[in-house]
Amino acid sequence: MFLGDTIPTPTTEVSRRRYDRQMRARQEAEGLLEAKSRELYEANQRLQKLLDTLETAVKERTQELEEARSAAESANEAKSVFLASMSHEIRTPLNGILGMAQALQDSGLSAEQEQLVNILRDSGTLLLALINDVLDISKIEAGKLEFEAIPYDLSDLRDAMFNHYRLRAEEKGLSFNVSLSDAANTRIIADPTRLKQVAGNLLSNAIKFTETGFVTLHIDMKSTCAGDPVLVLKVKDTGHGIPQSQQPQLFQRFSQANASVTRMHGGTGLGLAISRHICELTGGSIKLRSESGAGAEFQANLLVKHAPETEKEEPAPTQAADAGISFAGLRILAAEDNRTNQIVLRHMLKKAGPPALTIVGDGEKAVQAWQQGGYDMILMDINMPVMDGMEATRQIRALEHEKMLDPIPIVAVSANAMVHQVAGYLHGGMTGHVAKPISRDKLVNAMQAALAQCQRSLE
Amino acid sequence: MQYPCGIRVLFTICAHSVLVFECFGIAEVRMKGIVFVELIRMAEAVLGEEVVDEILDEAVLETDGAFSAVGNYPCKELLTIVEAVGARTGLPVEALHVQFGHWMFDRFVDGYPAFFEGKADGFHMLESIEDEVHVEVRKLYPEVELPRFDTERLPDGRFKMVYDSERPLHHFCKGLIESCMAHFDQAVHLDMRDYTANGRYTAEFLIQKAA
Repeated sequence: MFLGDTIPTPTTEVSRRRYDRQMRARQEAEGLLEAKSRELYEANQRLQKLLDTLETAVKERTQELEEARSAAESANEAKSVFLASMSHEIRTPLNGILGMAQALQDSGLSAEQEQLVNILRDSGTLLLALINDVLDISKIEAGKLEFEAIPYDLSDLRDAMFNHYRLRAEEKGLSFNVSLSDAANTRIIADPTRLKQVAGNLLSNAIKFTETGFVTLHIDMKSTCAGDPVLVLKVKDTGHGIPQSQQPQLFQRFSQANASVTRMHGGTGLGLAISRHICELTGGSIKLRSESGAGAEFQANLLVKHAPETEKEEPAPTQAADAGISFAGLRILAAEDNRTNQIVLRHMLKKAGPPALTIVGDGEKAVQAWQQGGYDMILMDINMPVMDGMEATRQIRALEHEKMLDPIPIVAVSANAMVHQVAGYLHGGMTGHVAKPISRDKLVNAMQAALAQCQRSLE
Repeated sequence: MQYPCGIRVLFTICAHSVLVFECFGIAEVRMKGIVFVELIRMAEAVLGEEVVDEILDEAVLETDGAFSAVGNYPCKELLTIVEAVGARTGLPVEALHVQFGHWMFDRFVDGYPAFFEGKADGFHMLESIEDEVHVEVRKLYPEVELPRFDTERLPDGRFKMVYDSERPLHHFCKGLIESCMAHFDQAVHLDMRDYTANGRYTAEFLIQKAA
């Protein structure tokens, strides 16, 4: 028999005893709940306090990080500015050294003197290359490496690389070859300077580290999976190769395979790092296949564009620079504050004509001289005391406009040669640009181009 | 903090289990008031309020029979009330404990149906007490001493469960097991053997399919 066999009906009235019991239970429950509620409130307060403390800590830590980051950034910025301005400062005297070497060569030297001057010129050129490398790496770090996009024949790349490195390879007794596949015998849109830089870095390394055998460059065009054109530069050598263990750090800046390489062969160790960055910035990559003692094969892949088929090459007005070009009778006004550079300029133009050259020391004097009339062209330095080259150009263009004069060709001559700076010069009214340190070829080409452009705009 | 529904249910169930099983372990343990409230509710359902009032008035209780679901009360009060109900009705105390087991199991099922989902059968459910329920109970109440429930699946589809505690609630446990098997529609024959000795309450439950 179990409980529940009979179910009594509840009564409508409740006894005093039941009421008291229920009341007592209720009061007890209320007391417990009140205590529990207070406990919860206090626990919540403690949590709130903890939360505040944590939030403050997070805020402080974030601020510290922010400060550290901005300190690091400004330090890095300061470093980049320092590198850029140092390299500018170094280029100016270098301009003097290289210009004087060229002037010396033109002055009729004995064979022995010629040899000495060649060494002087080669050393200066090497120093310039190193400065350019340092400047490039600082631009890469600052995210400011710029690319031009201009039509370029890859056969020009082949010729340039062959002519530039053939002698160096032959001097070491190496067989040297540069080949161009059928697919690559075409015109692309790219930055020729950067292409030459990558191919040149790879070739220069290959020749440097190969004692016997051959060095070859093969230029080819392929496409990515997505169908984008890829320029492939493959440099092979029979040098002593690079052990697997040393390959990973090879593309890091300031790093060569090992310290003894630096002692033996010199160099900044920036070339491969720069090449890697250039390839990667185009969306490509650089690869190395090598084993110790079995030569090396570097392959650089750069994403480029096909040049439009229809665009036919205009006969470049800037081809044969040195020989036969004459600026005789041309009246040139040059604004240049640096004495050495003035002498360099004078010597450079001596062989080309020579033109009638007037040199003034700042922008204001240039404007005054131009106002007196009688000049066919202006060579304008950018950084000058009193009035800089940009301001002088702006004033000349404004006066031409006012007096309805034909525009005079103005060529900027400056060590500030970054793409956006050059674009700024042209936008500011300059006709052309030549980068310091100037060589005669570059100067003559730039002057010819500027003359041709002004004539075209008049026709 | 808002736990996912399943976890919340599990915690609540565990709290219940504490009420149910806590009193097995600690001599002066205070059980959750909900057990007392449910015991009185069951008694009122079958005996009526007046009878229950009389039973509570006559029994010697520290609490005077005033229980709230959120309070904690000595375990021995539960035993006293069951004994008093037995004395009043003339029913054996063990049978009342079994019936209270049935009642509490139904409370579990009504309150927390989700907890029973995912359990293949009653054996699976019984196995989960030691491995799941008690594990969670210990997380909530680290100091609690729980009874042991050792389970074993025997040949021929038989199932053995050994209850071991300091509290004489093996009949209540039997009620829980019976309801559990019924809940999973398992017609079984349940055999309980009492091995209680020296103040230690031990019982072996042997469950096999009904013939």
